[in-house]
This record gives sequence, structure tokens and C-alpha cells, in this order.
Amino acid sequence: MAPKSYMRVENVTKKFGPFTAVNGVDLDVYPGEVHALLGDNGAGKSTLIKILSGVHQPTSGTIYMEEVERSFRSPRDASAAGIGTVYQDLAINQLMSVTRNFFMGRELTSTLGKLRMDEMDQIAHDEMLKIGIDFSDPSQAVGTMSGGQRQTLAIARAIYFGAKVLILDEPTSALGQKQQMEVLKTIKRVRARGDIAIIFITHNEIHSRLIADRYTFLALGQVIGQGTKAELEGGDIRRLMAGGAEIKDLEQELAKI
Amino acid sequence: MSERSESDRLQNESWIQRMIRRPEIGSFIVMIVIILALGLASEGKAFNALGLKNNIAIIAQLGIIAVGAALLMIAGEFDLSIGPMIAFAGMSMAIMLKWGLPFGLGEATPFTAFAITMCMTLAFGWLIGTIVVRSGLSSFIVTLAFWFFLRGLTEVCFRLINQNTNVSGLPDYKQESWFAEQMGGEVFGWLYDGWFWIGQKVSAGLEFTAGMAKDDKIDLINYLSFLNINRKMEQWVTGFDARLLWFIIIAGVAWYVLARTQIGNWIYATGDNKESARANGVPVNRVKVGLFMFSAFCATIFAACQVFDTNSSDAAKGMFKELEAIAIAVVGGILMTGGFGSIVGVVFGAVTFGLVANAVFFIPWIDGAWFRVFVGTVLLAAVFANERIRKRITGGI
Repeated sequence: MAPKSYMRVENVTKKFGPFTAVNGVDLDVYPGEVHALLGDNGAGKSTLIKILSGVHQPTSGTIYMEEVERSFRSPRDASAAGIGTVYQDLAINQLMSVTRNFFMGRELTSTLGKLRMDEMDQIAHDEMLKIGIDFSDPSQAVGTMSGGQRQTLAIARAIYFGAKVLILDEPTSALGQKQQMEVLKTIKRVRARGDIAIIFITHNEIHSRLIADRYTFLALGQVIGQGTKAELEGGDIRRLMAGGAEIKDLEQELAKI
Repeated sequence: MSERSESDRLQNESWIQRMIRRPEIGSFIVMIVIILALGLASEGKAFNALGLKNNIAIIAQLGIIAVGAALLMIAGEFDLSIGPMIAFAGMSMAIMLKWGLPFGLGEATPFTAFAITMCMTLAFGWLIGTIVVRSGLSSFIVTLAFWFFLRGLTEVCFRLINQNTNVSGLPDYKQESWFAEQMGGEVFGWLYDGWFWIGQKVSAGLEFTAGMAKDDKIDLINYLSFLNINRKMEQWVTGFDARLLWFIIIAGVAWYVLARTQIGNWIYATGDNKESARANGVPVNRVKVGLFMFSAFCATIFAACQVFDTNSSDAAKGMFKELEAIAIAVVGGILMTGGFGSIVGVVFGAVTFGLVANAVFFIPWIDGAWFRVFVGTVLLAAVFANERIRKRITGGI
């Protein structure tokens, strides 16, 4: 029997005036699994994750967390319900230290708002070590870190502050090859914990095949294919990635020019 | 572990390297150079009993407003209304002291005049901050508008109520009012008392050992002007201006809040990238409004020290002070773009500026306008240095 889903999205639709950004999308995410959400630019990926993370409210449809119906009125609601979103810009401040970024807005304080800096340094160090980066100096400014390390910081922060569903918005884009691998390793380590469901948004088919357990393909706001790794074959994935078009068709189209 | 990881590329530094890379180091070196240069050029007069008092007075005065300006700049905003706020607060206190409290509330005491003025300036600070965060306009333009507004309002109030652009000849409230004494009086008298006591011992020793003639001895004592003794062999200076204590308190609290508390983290986060700060739950708008109010608070303390020290006020008070405060903050290592800097650097900047501003009194052959030439040069150098630091941290170098 399949494990119970952590988050289930049923028939979610989002309209901006006359424009339907997301149309009747279903989605199931399970703990200890990476669910790749693929689609070309404009396929509705961003709108969907903004609905999941509470930035937008769906026009219709339902979100269940552990079988309980939830509606998120704000990002704060969603994050309280255990949805941690790591956006592309990571919400990280370059000039501030690792620890100060890790606890930004949620600092640990004692009386009179005094920061418990040693404790915070320790937690930031330990949490990042758990998913693969050993920082000798948590007072180091984030600006000196590589892009992959910054991703790790943002992911570790989301997990520490109670994310059960981790939404990663194109974490490998805008990174060099080696750093992309670092991020994929980090995702794998989070997956290995077994208690966190990961939604991995990407338009890189290779990355999704390396780590995903389950796929959902979006095109023009609709699901055009969905299934586990076993159910879909490599060819399928590539075809669905291109919005349902065959590579052969694309070659023909290009040849015409 | 044989495998090299990304974090290995950051080399571990010795404490000397760490010190050299601290953001305050530039302003510290400039300060030391100025202290030595001024000491030599004035033949020590800048740091004798009276010289130190005068220098500290101006350092503390500039430092108080520079701390307010610096916190605001770290949060990514400017306040050009500091100078006019000083003039407005001074006018408000002096007029209340002379003509009584508004709405027929009777005679003003130094404390009631100060308290009501503080309420008004904090309200202005709140208004400026609220306009900036609600409109999203640049604080440069909003506070420039308040620069004109408050300068004009101050002069109008002076003319309407006092038929003159100043109030002078107020009674010396320091004699009776404890509060006025804390603002315009003297502090750390024990330090000068001790200095005087040492001076007496030294001069008695000289008398005893050398058996000099009285005139020679006076010459010698004048030469050794670091002794706190005047020509009549009496105590020369009795204490520092009270604003030194205010400067220490304000800078100390600001340092603690910025470096050690949650609000400090919010200030840095707000100035660095306010969108990511907001996404993480930092109340960005409240931080900014609060700091505009703090800047107004510092300006009011500045004005209160001035009014109760001189027992007067006029509409031209605080001229250029907003620019000097910003310049000190920049020289102290605060980034123009916000998100970075320390109060320790600002204190060094204030010492440097205060000494240079006062230098003309100790070095007679120097033209006072050199002060601005110096400010301009140091400011430009500081901006370049700060930009280098920013690039280094964000990986540009």
C-alpha cells in the first residue's frame, strides 16, 4: 500500500481575470519523495507554487494537508502549516552572516531582545552539516558563499523552521555544473531523512531524472502527464517536457526555416 | 577528509588579518593620524585640560546625531531633516521657556519644555518615516521636503511669537533645575578634580626640588599645560560638557542594539535587502519608522544640550548638521546602500570630525575653511573604501 500523502491538491484552478493560469491541477506529494514539477516557461509552475505557498489564493479547488482541508491566506499561514518555499532569489541577504541569515526574522532571544548568538551559531552549523555543508565559521558573510551553498542555507533554514513540504523553485538554474550537483546532493540528503516531501520545480529534464521519484508535467496551465518514475519512461519525460511535442517534430519545424 | 569542499577555499585568518579586515579599521587609522597631527601642530594645546573639554564638546555634539543618522543609513534610508529638526526643537524649547507652555498650561519648566518638544519631534519623525514607507518614495526627497518645511516653520514660529529669529538671555536654568544641569551642565568633574590634584602635587614637587622663582614656575606650568591649573594656581577646568554623557549613552545603547539584539538583526536585514527581510517576517516598515523617530530623538537631545548650555536659541541652529552627520557615518564605514556598518566606526568618525572642525582654534595659522576641504577629501576616500568592502563581501573582488 502506498504511504499516505502529506499534501494533496485537488482540481486547483487559478484565474487572473480572463486568463486561466492554472486549470484543474491535481497533485500528490509523499514524505521521503521528490516530486518533480516540470514544464516550459509559462506552463503555470510559478502560479501553482505561489498557490501552495500562500501567495495566491486559488479560484477553485482544495488543498489537503495530511487529509485535512486547508486554505492559506498568506505565506505565513502556509509556513505555519509546514510548507517551506525556497524561491530562486532565496530571500538571503548577502552582507549578513550565515547565522544572521539563518535566523532572520525568527531570532532566538533572551531578555530585552538580546540575541543568543552562540546557540544560534551552533544550530546554523549543525543544521547545515546535516544536509552536507560543514561551515567552520557561521559569522562568515553569505556574499562569500557559492550559489550552491546559499541554496543549502535556504533549504536548511526552511527545514529547521518546520517545513514538512519543501518547495524548491528552480534551485539548479543560474548555477554552474558543479554547484548544480551540490544542490542535487543536498536534495538527496533531505529526501533520505524520510519525513520531508520535496516539490522540485525545474525545466531541466536531466536533473529531474537524477533525483525525482514522481513527476507532474504542466503545459498551458494543465497537467499533461503524471506518474512515478517506473510508470514513465525516459522518452515520455522528454516528450512531455517539450509540452507534448516530439523532438522529431521540433527538428522538422527547425528544418523548415 | 581528502576531498576538497567549497568551504575550504575560505582561508582561516589570524586575528591580525581579521582586525585589518574589520570595517572600522579605516576610520580608526584616520582618527589616530588626526589625533597625532593635531597634537603636534597645536604643541599639545589641543589635548590640555581646556582643549580636551572643547574638543570633546564638539565630538559629542556631532556624535549624537551621527549615531542616529548611521542607524538609519544601515536600514537603507537617509534623513536630511536632522539640522532643521535641531533648529525646530531648540526654538520650541526656548519659546516655551520664555513665553510659557502652549494652550495656557502655565509656566514651562526645563523638563516640561523638553518633554513636549520631544513629543513633537518624535511625531515629525514618525510622519517622515510613515510617508517614506507608505509611498515608497526615496527618503532623500521626502526628508529634503521636511528640510525646507521645518526650517521655514522654525523661523515663522520665532517671528510670530517672539518677533525675532532668536531667543536669548534666558535665565540660567542649570542653577535650579536638575534636568537642565543634565543637559547643559558638566559631567565627569571628578576626572578634572583628580587631574587638578595631580597637578598640585607636581607643581609642589617642582617648587620643592628646584626652588625656582615664582615667575619661572608659572612659565613652567604654562609650558606643562597638561596640568589642570590656571595662572592663579587654581583649578582651571571643572568638567566635560554634559553632552559627552549623552553621547556615551546613545552610542552605547545603539551599539548594543545593533550588534547584540534582534532589532539589530532586523535593522541590518532591512537595509541589506528589504524584500528578503520581509519574506522572512522582519517588520521592515516598523523598523524604518522607528529609526526615523530615533534620528529625531537624537536631534532633540542635541538641541536640548545646546539650549540649556547657552540659554538661547536661534533659527540658524543646526545648519549643515544633517550633512555632517551623514559624512561622519560614511567615514565611519557605513555603506551608502545600507545593510552594513558599525557604531564603533561612527564613534571614530565623530572623533576625527570633531577634532578637525575645532583645529582652527588650536592652530592659529590655519584657515578654518580647510575643514571642509578635509571633509570632502576624506568623504570621497571613505566612499571608495566602503565600496571596496562591499564588493569584497558580496564576492565582487
